[in-house]
Amino acid sequence: MLLKVRNDIQEIDRVYDEIKEFCLSHDITEKKCFDILMIVDELATNIIKYAFNDEQEHTFDILLEKSSQAVHIQLTDDGIPFDPLKKSDPDTMSSLEDRNIGGLGIFFAKQLSKLITYARIEDKNQLDILVSLKEEE
Amino acid sequence: MEITTKQDSGITIIYPSGRIDTSTAKNFEEGVMKTISDSQLVIISFSAIDYISSAGLRVILMAGKKMASIKGQLALADMPEKIHEVFKMSGFDKILKIYPTFAEAKASFS
Repeated sequence: MLLKVRNDIQEIDRVYDEIKEFCLSHDITEKKCFDILMIVDELATNIIKYAFNDEQEHTFDILLEKSSQAVHIQLTDDGIPFDPLKKSDPDTMSSLEDRNIGGLGIFFAKQLSKLITYARIEDKNQLDILVSLKEEE
Repeated sequence: MEITTKQDSGITIIYPSGRIDTSTAKNFEEGVMKTISDSQLVIISFSAIDYISSAGLRVILMAGKKMASIKGQLALADMPEKIHEVFKMSGFDKILKIYPTFAEAKASFS
């Protein structure tokens, strides 16, 4: 499934519904679908908020493919070069007073995926994510 | 995402429903922050929440900090398993009070 998404935060609702449909039509469990939704939501939100600095309308791609044991997700945008995986993880042990919210979305995406890689290819940011469909992973 | 609130013997109870993602977090923030501004004891029940992203957790963190600053108490209750997992993954289960049921959350105030 290929989704063309505008850099508008309201698009997240549509992306959510499309992924739900994808999960249903591909027999993906609700638990695994939740993980896929969260990964795509967090990474797509990041692109919408930070990838474009020219105030123009942009479209980026979200590709989902299911194989027997995994779902491959690919996000491609023509925004400024940015590797979200380089962002440091939040300190999940800090106190309520000191706790900061920054970086939590990317951290979730890393935690929920089996593999996540970034590449800058032909002036585009490309994130490839593999989500295992085995229940224990 | 919808929010309903209720008052019960001095406790403010917030019931959000649906999903809290980036596009709905703003409404969630307004609803929660307005409601807790004049309450000492607050319970947020997650029983009707299907999904919460980091944008939603940000609002819960703000609410937790606000309640701590006014020496009030915030309890979270009735989380579906996947929602609870998100709180655990973020480490929020260590800095916020999470109870399996509404009754336990309420009892924690006495």
